[in-house]
Amino acid sequence: MTMQAVSGPARVEGSEVAAAIPSGFSRRIRRWGLIFVAPTLLFLAIFKYGPMLWAIGLSFTSYDMVSQPQYIGLQNYRLLLENPVFRETLINTFVYVGASTAFMTMAGLGLALAINTRVPGARHCMTAIFLTNLMPIIAVCLVWRLLLHPYGLVNQLLAPLGVGRVDWLTNEATAMPAIVFVTVWRFAPYFMVVFLAALLALPDDYFEAAELDGAGVFRRFWHITLPLLMPTVFFVVVVSALLSARIFLMPFIMTGGGPGNATRVLSMLIYETGFSYMKMGQAAAISVVLFAIMLVFTTLQMRLFMRREQVYS
Amino acid sequence: MTTIPSDEVAASRWQLTGWKRTLGLVLLLAFTIAFIIPILWMLTMSFQAGDKMFQLGTEWIPSVWHPENYPNALSRAAFPNYFLNSGVVSLVVMAGNLVFCTLAGYGLAKFRFPGDSIVLLLILSTLMLPLEVTLVPTFLIIHNFGWMNTYQGLVGPLLIDAFGVFLMRQSMLSIPNDYIEAARIDGAGEIRILLQIILPQCIPALAVLAIISFRDSWDQFLWPLTVVSSDTYRTFPLGLVQFGEDYGNPPSEQLAIAVLATIPVFLLFLVFQRSINRGFGLSGLK
Amino acid sequence: MDNTESKLRVRGARSKGVSRRDALALIGAAGAAAVASPALGQASRVNLSFWTFENPQQRPWLHKRVRQYMEKNPNVNVEFQWFTFADLGKKISVGYATGTAPDGFVSQDWLMPTWQAKGLIAPLDIQKLGYNSYKDFSDDFPEAFLAGATKDGKVYGFPTWFYGFLNYLNTKHFASVGLDPERDAPLSWEKFGEVAKKLTIKEGNRFVRQGFKFAMHAPQWTMVQFNPILVGAGGSWFDASGKCTINNAAGVKAMKLRASIAKEYGAEDPAESIATNPLPQMDWLKERASMFWCHPIPPPAIQSQNTAMASEHYYRPVQYAGIDGKPGISTTYGFNLVINARAPAEKQAALHDLYKFIMSDAEDCWNDTQPFPIARKSGWTNNPKVQSFPQIAEILKARDQGVFLPRTPVYNELADAVHRAVQRVMLNGADIQATLNEAAAEVDRATANARG
Repeated sequence: MTMQAVSGPARVEGSEVAAAIPSGFSRRIRRWGLIFVAPTLLFLAIFKYGPMLWAIGLSFTSYDMVSQPQYIGLQNYRLLLENPVFRETLINTFVYVGASTAFMTMAGLGLALAINTRVPGARHCMTAIFLTNLMPIIAVCLVWRLLLHPYGLVNQLLAPLGVGRVDWLTNEATAMPAIVFVTVWRFAPYFMVVFLAALLALPDDYFEAAELDGAGVFRRFWHITLPLLMPTVFFVVVVSALLSARIFLMPFIMTGGGPGNATRVLSMLIYETGFSYMKMGQAAAISVVLFAIMLVFTTLQMRLFMRREQVYS
Repeated sequence: MTTIPSDEVAASRWQLTGWKRTLGLVLLLAFTIAFIIPILWMLTMSFQAGDKMFQLGTEWIPSVWHPENYPNALSRAAFPNYFLNSGVVSLVVMAGNLVFCTLAGYGLAKFRFPGDSIVLLLILSTLMLPLEVTLVPTFLIIHNFGWMNTYQGLVGPLLIDAFGVFLMRQSMLSIPNDYIEAARIDGAGEIRILLQIILPQCIPALAVLAIISFRDSWDQFLWPLTVVSSDTYRTFPLGLVQFGEDYGNPPSEQLAIAVLATIPVFLLFLVFQRSINRGFGLSGLK
Repeated sequence: MDNTESKLRVRGARSKGVSRRDALALIGAAGAAAVASPALGQASRVNLSFWTFENPQQRPWLHKRVRQYMEKNPNVNVEFQWFTFADLGKKISVGYATGTAPDGFVSQDWLMPTWQAKGLIAPLDIQKLGYNSYKDFSDDFPEAFLAGATKDGKVYGFPTWFYGFLNYLNTKHFASVGLDPERDAPLSWEKFGEVAKKLTIKEGNRFVRQGFKFAMHAPQWTMVQFNPILVGAGGSWFDASGKCTINNAAGVKAMKLRASIAKEYGAEDPAESIATNPLPQMDWLKERASMFWCHPIPPPAIQSQNTAMASEHYYRPVQYAGIDGKPGISTTYGFNLVINARAPAEKQAALHDLYKFIMSDAEDCWNDTQPFPIARKSGWTNNPKVQSFPQIAEILKARDQGVFLPRTPVYNELADAVHRAVQRVMLNGADIQATLNEAAAEVDRATANARG
């Protein structure tokens, strides 16, 4: 039982069961389908859809939790647009998500290809690398914050290469790259595994043909491997984007959003606005914005993938 | 997707020979070690004095061992209790995911009912509604339930994750329907079919779901930060973050706690490693 | 007293054997009572909930006094909870919002406007606290403190500790560079910079010892440090109309002065402190910095980090450096015992009695929490135990002469804006005027949307 299908697109498949079975029977079976799905639907209604609708509603109010919410229309959104901190945070979020997604995908693929060369011990290397994905995120943030300290290990290792002291987390030019780096370090191993599974599942026929034709390694990769991996790439891009859009701990622990606003992202802003400034209505508005971004992105990705699929099939 | 290559064919295809093989091995090894340096550093620093941390060089083998960092760290705050809380919450969340995601995944993979594609879309779209987005209303809901500062409150929103449904559904799609049909014709009840036919074939996927849901819950910071204000229910990430704020807690003790926090997840993985590898589809890798 | 704040950190009860068991039992028993609707308890028994902030000296003393009170008044039961210094305000806000706020709590004085603006704390009956008249009360406390505790002639907070920050010098370091800690104690900014420069030791681009160090890790500390410089330079946080004025000429001057230690005198390393575990005094305690602005530091705190410094006593606090030849101003803040306006009458009465008892033994307070002075002027400073504390005169002077933190309902937003501004100036070399303009605009926006 493999999970090769994890890279497959999420298409709904009709069940072949219903076709062969008398109708009374199938109605009973249908009911079971609903029964099995019901608890999850109920849960999601309470904890996902309910809150999202409530958030949308809240975003039109001014609510400090001490008194009743007051309807203020679109004012929260207007205030957000006028607020330079929000604008900077929005840009930061795009940069962060874009960079993290790109690098996580590439790193994951690169690592998988490296492991797939099947040198002896590759499997153990993979396990070792994957273990870093299991380290608690809070530990990752604390350790990297110490490693990236001006006198920390990273600078120590770079010193012989002639790199002077770099204030990774306190210089606005390096703070965001540093956070992206740590994010990629933490999550790429998971995508390495996903890509590896996909690579292992690739059929031989194409490669045999290509080798016979005399195609080199790189051409084989670019023209055969990569296209065959497209579904997996799509999956990884979407998942890594959704993942990085919600990340809170990395910037929160490592830089506190600083220096200035250089690493403040939307998830942090939501928490600060709601629980530090007690402006629940505005926090809800920011949540809606974040959701909208994720929605737009996922939709675009699906569009892109559908088109690609058409090209390749 | 046609056949999965046999190990022999695969090995002969990808095998590097001679110097390329040695070079590849060396490079891979070097890279792996570089990649896991932070864990090694965390481990070795946790046994050293806090002052050692920003010296000009790093001692990889401590010249002076300070194993007392561990019991000291644990005594700084109610860490044993924090770990217990984290453990309880993570186990319950893992169990919840295993149960409900399997049910929903099965329902969506093997049953056709009116609106099933919409249901699937609805469930998957909640991947875009993580806690970070729904934080404020979820907090208000939990408060209205009276679940602030309780285990229920900590576990509640984490109990079922759409990703788990997706996982289980994908893994069940490839179970041949003949078994199910045959069992139905034999008169087996649906629950029995699920337990005796479906589940045994899903063990690898279950293993993956278990480790991932446990780890994600173990990692949780933002939600406990929001919903817990009483020390009795604090989880270890909260404890770890507050760690440096008292007089005299050396950062090496903080690393000791970090090491302790890493162990349970590692152990869980190592115990179920084979199933997890299969679940990820890596059994082809020798 | 533990002043280390980081934004949004969460903390709670420190487990120390008996006290933790007590806390758990109390929380368990009184938890329901605290949340349940008031005024339905038994007639004679009163259950109170009381929250304060964690501090290694102050919190245990409060806890001790509360326990003593409960022994004397067995019909009163107090559930005693505490949170980190940074978190207490937020927990209380959330508590009010969710109906779980405590009946009584310790309020940091800069948050008093927030509670007062929303009518969340009750006016106190000062006669129940032992004062015959308002005048008696106001005579007994420093002006700066009263401004936060009173409003429209009513008293909203019963003051506990109140102290000013001081410049702590490492006298051994002074001696090592040929300076006399008494004569050469920097009381003017020019001297301050030069002394700091002299005390600095560098190896390449690595600071072995910083002459002076600003804490950079948390907005509250940024406020506390910038406040006296701003006021000393002739500036103010807000003008009479409520507009933020940190970007006027005085504000720019103040920021320039703040930046000068690192930029002109090269005595400080801003990037180094922000990325490590935030305990701002640590660098000074470990002698990586020679001077540091801090609240009065208890001897046990020094003892726990640097036994040599504690036993040989090679440190002393002095007043802040003054600007333009004027005497230095320190920053002050304090803590009030306040009562939840939503608590029922009999709980409020019980709390008055409790508070009066807590503050009735100043000597005991000094014994346990020295050198944190209490706000009250009368009846304790002449005690020989107090007088014998080293440099007590400096500590009391800082208290009496200091300026308080800005009191505004948007304190958190203000602190965050200033914190960001300081980071930009110190870490990214941003232009001071432009940065302060941005910060002032942010604060004005927050003030305008205070209801949002």
